[in-house]
This record gives sequence, C-alpha cells and structure tokens, in this order.
Amino acid sequence: MAFVAPAWGPMRAVVAKDLTAVSRSKAVIIPMLAVPVLLLIVLPFVIGLAASGKGAVEGTGILDQVPGGLADEISSLPDNEQLVVLVNGYLLAPLFLIVPLMVSAVLAADAFAGEKERKTLEGLLHHPLSDRDLFLAKLATAYLPAVLVSWIGFVCFAIVSNGVAWPQVGRVFVPTKLWLVVILWIAPAVAATGLGIMVRVSARVRTSQEANQLGGAVILPLIFLAVGQSTGLLLVTPQIAIGVGVLLWAVALLLIRGGARKFTRNALATRL
Amino acid sequence: MGETPVIDVRGLTRHFPSGTALDGLTLEVAQGEVLALLGPNGAGKTTTVRLLNGVLEPDGGSATVLGYDPTADGDAIRARTGVLTESAGLDERLTARENLVFSGRIRGMTKADSGRRADDLLGVLAMGDRADLPVQGFSTGERKRVALARALLHNPEVLFLDEPTSGLDPAATREVVDLIARLATEEGRTVVLCTHFLPEAGRLADRMAVLDRGQLLAFGRPEELAAELWDGLAAEIDLGRPADERVLTATRSTQGVLDAEPIPEGLHVRVASREVLPAVVARLVETGMPVYASVPRPPTLEDVYFEVTSRAGVEITAEAA
Repeated sequence: MAFVAPAWGPMRAVVAKDLTAVSRSKAVIIPMLAVPVLLLIVLPFVIGLAASGKGAVEGTGILDQVPGGLADEISSLPDNEQLVVLVNGYLLAPLFLIVPLMVSAVLAADAFAGEKERKTLEGLLHHPLSDRDLFLAKLATAYLPAVLVSWIGFVCFAIVSNGVAWPQVGRVFVPTKLWLVVILWIAPAVAATGLGIMVRVSARVRTSQEANQLGGAVILPLIFLAVGQSTGLLLVTPQIAIGVGVLLWAVALLLIRGGARKFTRNALATRL
Repeated sequence: MGETPVIDVRGLTRHFPSGTALDGLTLEVAQGEVLALLGPNGAGKTTTVRLLNGVLEPDGGSATVLGYDPTADGDAIRARTGVLTESAGLDERLTARENLVFSGRIRGMTKADSGRRADDLLGVLAMGDRADLPVQGFSTGERKRVALARALLHNPEVLFLDEPTSGLDPAATREVVDLIARLATEEGRTVVLCTHFLPEAGRLADRMAVLDRGQLLAFGRPEELAAELWDGLAAEIDLGRPADERVLTATRSTQGVLDAEPIPEGLHVRVASREVLPAVVARLVETGMPVYASVPRPPTLEDVYFEVTSRAGVEITAEAA
C-alpha cells in the first residue's frame, strides 16, 4: 500500500482545538499543574532549605543505599553540600517522572475517552481525516504538552534547587548527568508509556473519569515504583537510567502500536 | 435529476453484537433529490448514514456515494458530504464560531475562510449574536443550528441530516425546513433526511424509504407508494358535521365509491376516479345534506408511512409518530 503523507494542517487543527478546550477545563488544568508545581518547585525548595547547611551525609548510613560511584562522588563534596546535592541532584530525579506520566495520562483520557463522554466523537469521525492521522493528532495532543510541561518544570526545578542551595554550594549543581538522562530520555519515555496505557484504557470506557480511574489502577503502581526508586536502588546512575529508558520506550511503543490497531472508525463507531 | 445516482446502495447489511441493524438495504438517490429515511427508533437510519459516510464498515452488500466506495474512500466522501448527527456533537468548551472554524480547518479550509463562512452561516441561522459564546450555555435548538451550520460549512454536495429540527421552536423549524428546501431545489444539493417529523418529511422529500429493524419496508415516491397501497382517489367532503349512517349508506351505494368513513367535518371517501366525485355530491344533495366543499385529498407521506408500517405490523411510538 502506498504511503500517504500525514495531513499536517488538519492534524494541527485537532491538536489546537483539543488544547484550547482543555485550557478552559479547570477540572483538567488544576490537577495537571498542581502536581508539577508541588513536585518541581515546592518540594525542592523545602528540601533544599532543610538540607542546606546540614552536616555531611557520610557516616549517616544514607550513602550505604546508593551505588558506590555516587557515594564516592557525594563523599568527596564539602560537608555542607552533601545532603542538598544528594537529594536535589539525584534522589528527586525518579520522583520527577510522575509529572510526564500524569500529564500525558490526564490529557490522553480527555483526548480519547473524553470525545465519547462529550458525544463529540461521531461528529469528528464524519470529518475527512484518516484514522491514522486522527490517532497521531490525539497522541500529539497528550504527548507534546506532557513533555513540554516536564521540561519547563525541570527548568523551574533547576532554578529553585540551585537558588535555594546557592548560599552553601555557590555553584550550579543541577542538572547532573543523571538529570539530563531523566529529562531528555526517560521523561519522554514515561510520557509515552502513560499515553500508551490511557490509549488502551480509553478504548474500553465511555468517560474520561472512568479512563482516569482504570488508568490510575495501572499507573499508580508505576508511580509507587518511581517513588520507591528515590531510595536510590536503581535510577541513580546514568547508565542504568538509560537502560530503564530503553525498557520504557519498548513498553510504550508496544502499547501505542496495539492501540493504533484498534483505533479505527469502524471500531469506534461500533461502540457509539 | 442526473442519471447516475449520487447514492447507490445494494444489499447493504450491518450486524452488531446486539442484533442486525441493517439487512440488505437497496436504494438509490439522484442528484438534487431529497430522500426521507423514515422509521421508528432502532430502524437502522443512523447506521445507514454511518455506513454511507464510511464511518462504519458493512458486513455485506455495497454502496457508492458520489462514485466512491465508503469503505475504501471514506475521506473522499466525507470531504464532500455534510452530516448533522442526532446529538449536535459540539465541543461545549468552545464557542459556536470556534467549533465551526475547527471543522473548517480539518477540512483543509484556512482559518480566515472558515471564519468568514462560519459568520455567514451563523447569521443565516440566526445565531450571529451568539457566535462568540461558549456552546455550554446554548439551548438544544441553538446547538442544533450551530451543528447545522457546521454540516454546511464546506458547501457539501450531499447532506445527511439526522433530525434537523428536533428541539427547534416552530419559527426556527420553518426557517430550517425552508433552508433545506432551498439547498435541494435551488442549489441542487442531495439530501438524506432522517426524521420523526413526518409533515416536515412530507414537505421536503421527493422519495421516502421506510425502515424497520433494519428491513426496508417501502421505497419510492409517496404518490407511487400510495398507488400501490390504495385503489382510487381519496377525497374529503365537508358536510359541516360528521357523516351519519344514512349519509354513509347513501355514499357507499353510489357507483364508483370504494369506501366511505366519517370524519369530524363530514366524510372521507375513496372513489375509483375523479369523475365519481360529482355523482357523490349530487347524491348527498338529493338526500338533503348541505355540501360545503368536496376536495380531492391525495395521500400524504404521513398517510403512506402509517399505512406501510401498519401493514408491516410495526409498533409506532409517540416519538416516531
């Protein structure tokens, strides 16, 4: 079958419409922005304040939980820098991944299941946009803001982390190499995974609320896993982080590919 | 009307897990023609519209719309058809104008062109002053008008209108019916009209298709179907009061009278031909009855619909009626 180029203009129209509509929905916008603000501004600020000026973490047992290379790196820092660099430079990185996961999941639920809930799906299906292009546009509606919010959030996080620790550290210590891997590699993969889960979930439900509930049942364990990693078991070295990213991308692509196969007008209209 | 049908349907069939929605539908619609697709809820009207626009795929049979196969070339069809769905299907978070501009942009129109066209249509449909308000606060009738404007935005050659006047007040209903009539007669648009409002269908439709539980019960011009359903010509004779037994007997005994029934104003008769009517009137005058008027009353689409469904044993709900 000959390749048909995507209809970029109409796809952009779908994305723009969905985002305009979402921006007017407080029920979607407030939780979507509250979590990043809490995780990427309030938390590093509070932790930074609490950790700044504290003594060395060496000898407290905390470094026993992190891989040797990182423990050595932290130990080599001046005593009053060790805790704030360990926490804001490394241990918060996995927690940050909640942001792309949540934003992509919330927007995907609105973009896919929300069309059914608002009874706007049939009208959309009567427009001349191929199943593939409609699917891609809906993916972009959820994916691009998730990555963008994560990146903007990270810039805020870096400003807050460096700013609050500046009196003690006196230099820019965020982003670390780990943060760069998390931001540029794992966060987009996590956003794609959240999207993949919600695409599959949305095909089975009739409202975005049901999608969020069912999706939450799948996503919450992932969040707990991410939080669990902040104790420093896995995601603290860039090499392991890259490996985790590869795994997440594989899962995300499998989920999305499966979702794309089921995203046909016929399948969608059969359930109207 | 053109020789090649704009819509050509042959044995179209579609099953759902809940049952058969359409079973071997065969019909055609010529260019500029208005087809009324009639039937009670669950008859298969909406399924037909979805199949013809390539939104659903058939389990059997075939169809062409504007020469395209809906299954293979759905986008080509959807680019040239406009569909008004039963629920208006507008995004409530957007304004009326934004909903229309979005539709235009998906259809490849520029933002400026869709905006201009949206303003024109909203003005025609008396929604100009509501254009920049969110749809959320709109009444059912206002939503319906915005949705109708969306269906017309790209000047479609074929219009599928599912209950275009439901929720509209009488004045708005008349405006919309007039608009549909203009689109068909003056602009040559082909219209498939799914409606429960039979007088509206009667005014607009060139042909009617009656569906029930996916089966086509009747298809054709109302007058042709009437000729198949009934013998002779119907007429109403105004006597100023319902005909009594004496009048009925006198009428029925007149040569050429096939049937006579009382109605509130007098008498409904069915005669073999138009020429029989003067004889009936003369006979009534002979019996001393005042006759105020005698008017041939060809069966309406509504009469045909009820006769077809009644003969098929279809239960008509209040809504369908």
